[in-house]
Amino acid sequence: MNYTKQIQDIAAKLFAEGKIDVFVGYRMNGFDENQVPVLITDPQDVSKLVFTDKSVFNLVNYLKTDHTRRKRVGIVVKGCDSRSLNLMLTESQVKRENLYVVGICCEGVVDDAGEKMQNCTDCMVPDAVVSDEMLGTAVSGSGTLTYKKNADIVALAEKPLTERAAYFEEVFENCIRCNACRHSCPLCYCAKCCIDQETATLYNGANTTSAAFHALMTWSLHLAGRCVDCRNCEKACPSHLPLHLLHKQNESVIYENFQEHLAGVIPEDRGAFYKYSLKDPDDFIM
Amino acid sequence: MARVGVFVCFCGANIADYVDVPQVVEEVKRIKEVKFATEYKYMCSDPGQGMIRDAIIQYKLTSIVVAACSPRMHEKTFRKALSDAGMNPYLLEVANIREHSSWVHQKDKKAATNKAMDLCRMAVAKSIANEQLHEISVPVTKRALVIGGGIAGIQAALDIADARIPVVLVEKSPSIGGKMAQLDETFPTLDCAQCILTPKMVDVASHPYIELIPYAEVLELQGFVGNYKVKIKKKASYVNFKTCTGCGACWQKCPVKVPNEYNMGIDKRKAIYTPFPQAVPNKPVIDAENCTMLTKGKCGICKKVCLPGAIDYEMQDEIIEREIGAVVVATGYDMWDPTPYEEYGVGRFKDIITSLEFERMVSANGPTNGVPQRPSDGKVPKNVVFIKCVGSRDEAKGIEYCSKICCMYTTKHTILLHHKVHDSHAYVFYMDIRAAGKGYEEFVKKAQVDTGTTYLRGRVSKIYKKGDKLMVRGEDAQIGQVVEVEADLVVLATAVSAPKDNPELARLLGISYDKYGYLSEAHPKLRPVETAKAGIFLAGCTQAPKDIPETVSQASACAAKVCGLFSGDTMKKDPMVSTINNEYCSGCQNCVKVCPYGAIITDEVPVGHGIKDLRTVAKINEGVCQGCGSCVAICRSMAITLAGFTDPQIINEIVSI
Amino acid sequence: MEAEVKDQLVSIEKPELIAPPNWEPVIMGILCNWCSYAGSDLTGTSRIQYPPNIRIIRVPCSSRVDPWFLIKSLQTTADGVLVSGCHPGDCHYISGNYFARRRFLVTKKLLNFVGFHENRIQFSWVSAAEGPKFAKVVNKVTEDIKKLGPLHLYKKENFEKK
Repeated sequence: MNYTKQIQDIAAKLFAEGKIDVFVGYRMNGFDENQVPVLITDPQDVSKLVFTDKSVFNLVNYLKTDHTRRKRVGIVVKGCDSRSLNLMLTESQVKRENLYVVGICCEGVVDDAGEKMQNCTDCMVPDAVVSDEMLGTAVSGSGTLTYKKNADIVALAEKPLTERAAYFEEVFENCIRCNACRHSCPLCYCAKCCIDQETATLYNGANTTSAAFHALMTWSLHLAGRCVDCRNCEKACPSHLPLHLLHKQNESVIYENFQEHLAGVIPEDRGAFYKYSLKDPDDFIM
Repeated sequence: MARVGVFVCFCGANIADYVDVPQVVEEVKRIKEVKFATEYKYMCSDPGQGMIRDAIIQYKLTSIVVAACSPRMHEKTFRKALSDAGMNPYLLEVANIREHSSWVHQKDKKAATNKAMDLCRMAVAKSIANEQLHEISVPVTKRALVIGGGIAGIQAALDIADARIPVVLVEKSPSIGGKMAQLDETFPTLDCAQCILTPKMVDVASHPYIELIPYAEVLELQGFVGNYKVKIKKKASYVNFKTCTGCGACWQKCPVKVPNEYNMGIDKRKAIYTPFPQAVPNKPVIDAENCTMLTKGKCGICKKVCLPGAIDYEMQDEIIEREIGAVVVATGYDMWDPTPYEEYGVGRFKDIITSLEFERMVSANGPTNGVPQRPSDGKVPKNVVFIKCVGSRDEAKGIEYCSKICCMYTTKHTILLHHKVHDSHAYVFYMDIRAAGKGYEEFVKKAQVDTGTTYLRGRVSKIYKKGDKLMVRGEDAQIGQVVEVEADLVVLATAVSAPKDNPELARLLGISYDKYGYLSEAHPKLRPVETAKAGIFLAGCTQAPKDIPETVSQASACAAKVCGLFSGDTMKKDPMVSTINNEYCSGCQNCVKVCPYGAIITDEVPVGHGIKDLRTVAKINEGVCQGCGSCVAICRSMAITLAGFTDPQIINEIVSI
Repeated sequence: MEAEVKDQLVSIEKPELIAPPNWEPVIMGILCNWCSYAGSDLTGTSRIQYPPNIRIIRVPCSSRVDPWFLIKSLQTTADGVLVSGCHPGDCHYISGNYFARRRFLVTKKLLNFVGFHENRIQFSWVSAAEGPKFAKVVNKVTEDIKKLGPLHLYKKENFEKK
């Protein structure tokens, strides 16, 4: 998967036609094989753009910054990224007319070790669902592939409760409350996060296990039915916490019980918590 | 620093026998915010309330906790006590130590006391976060909309207008009158429907406070109680009502004939027509589907013969907008289509008619001049079989409910038949005779004797043709035998069903309907006239099958409700509503999706920080908000607050014990 | 941390070992105003007895219940929570309990996933007429939580009890 040339050409063309003010893409980080996001405002810098299977980050996150808000933006999105973009559009955070979206038919990206990432092997929607222009060959059945329940949560769910409790207590203990997960998430765009609000802080310690527990639980519930499994949060986490576990757990409950589509696949679909069905499970309620 | 006063009630022995009240008082005194705590035998009594009033003033209390019975019981009483002492009534919290402690833990005084202490701690903690709230007053547009011009709509409109409140009456068909205008005589007194109805119809047309909009439909309703905006589509009638004199030259000359709905299709009407001679307004309309001028551009006779020049083939549908404060829905009912009764030969045998067709036949202004005739050969029938519960009380083919009026109108039909055809004989197949109502049972009994009608208890299993007669086979359950009756005419007492447009109407009004399509009342017993949406009321069969007296009563009840609503210039409303903090709102509009009342709209506010741009935020209409808190719980930014149940209040309760 | 894991283990299997003598669980009951709170009042007026462990919070509708309340309850004062609302179709606010039902299922499964026993988070539909049912529900929840013993997870920096 290498669309470097195509993306450079598209960006150059868009700048030449005056259609965009900023192009959000990837560039080499300059010291190893990995890439970092880049916001290009000068057409001469277009040659910095790259796109390979090392283009791991979800660039939609950069649509919530002041560098892109109220500007005309060109952006590259993979399948998962495009779903978060869909949600951003539905939730009125970005305007479609301000965007030029280069969609990728994604073959999966790789981690530092060169292994295909877990969310890519499990991916149900490799093709971008929002785009003005698509690159690559469409993956057959994108969007209708079989749902694979995440292997990690299956394994954890089989363990005894006490072991799970111990496992997660360690996870929450290792959290340093830096909020990088929140900042890296495209869907965490609130003006002031509820966890930082007075009401919440009043009842919370600062950097403690129980505060981390509260923050991460609230965070994952706020993303339930919205998380697109791009794993930006995990890539950002300095403590390398397995944050995907919380999201995948919610996703599987929602997918299995409410017959909902995955988050952001359907335009105008707001996620499972903002609608209901009379057929929702009721047997867990006395 | 909050200064809380706690008042613990003995409730006679109700609390004191099972909870150690003095110990509770001692315990709450240890809470640092509590500046005053006391106990009394009956806190709700006058001296009890007096203690609260005195303490508020003496100890400069900032919030009050009353530990007594359920807040559902006496919250209002104690709020008033606070008001009397000049304190905001919403600074009160009630700790429910009777229903939730003393009455349910009667065997363990220690545990009950402990629990009462915890409940008091929770109430104190919550009350610290209480804020001063003020009743919301919402302005009211004093104009009512009545949808449907049958007897229900007519009565409601007249009663409201008589109270000098303007009414907009919207009727779907060209004339008001509804189903009642199609009836000949009415049970149980046999007075002529036209004679009692038409004067009311004329009153509607001439009433200075009623704006009658016939041949129109409601398109859209926006807003909230007291402040609705309605869009009405007035269908093109192609006749200028202002210049038309109602002379009738047009429809006499019109060459197009189509089945006449008013007479249940028994005879024909013209393509330009007034539905019936007593129609109000008595002006013709052109049926655009059948008029050859409008469909093919050929004819134009009516325009030629119209001396005042009222015909206008270019007329367009018109959208009328009105501001109104309340809505009365009176869309009536449909007759159930008996086609599923194949064994009766419905559709195959011409001499099987429905009760409303029979009603038109025996009606003096009907298509047969009041004499029933067999549709097949025009002969006057001698043996007539009436079959009741066609569609009603039949889960398999029809509907589960009892249509309520069929027993009575069938009885009436046997009398009318007897009056019109003296040597006739009527047979009635019935399941039960339900004649509950003033004078109803007497009416049925008298009819049975006077007309000599044969009543056969049982279901009809088959109708087949023998010569030009119909053979009706059914069971007579009282003798346990199958009987066959030779009939000239069979009349089916078809069920009353909900208007087929009701679900669509309900959606556009934002009210609910049941599985049959009838509109739902707010409470089946105690609020049968209101809907769950404030300011929308129900009259007549649109809610459930009803006879005329009941329909009129409900219509008048609607009028009383509307007048009550409009009695002041503003309405008072509980202040427990949601508000949005613009600073925190990110404008995702998910709250808009979960609000069951459509109380949340979007608003544009400046971005700030020197940027000249607007951003979208949610905005709550406090007049519409009912305070459920759905939006609060789903707001990720915690930008929404529900007064009275704020996050700090609830979390205070959780962490206080 | 190891000690605490052991606490959990013991408390699930043999509550009497970890629970202090005369330990009584605290159950946070969050009830909707129109059905369940009225139902619990009816339990009172009918003098139906139930265990005294539940502490009741009144909210207008089950849809007002933010998952945060459940998490906070378990983290601070409660050994278990019970949320109760109107039966499906009976919601005073038309559809509140349907929205709530989805959140409850996800919250319950998530808390169970991170190590809370599923019986610590319970839900019920209790109508205003179901006084006996409310007592039955409280009996069951109390029994369940007594079996599980005190909850220690994430309570290390607990609030000082007043």
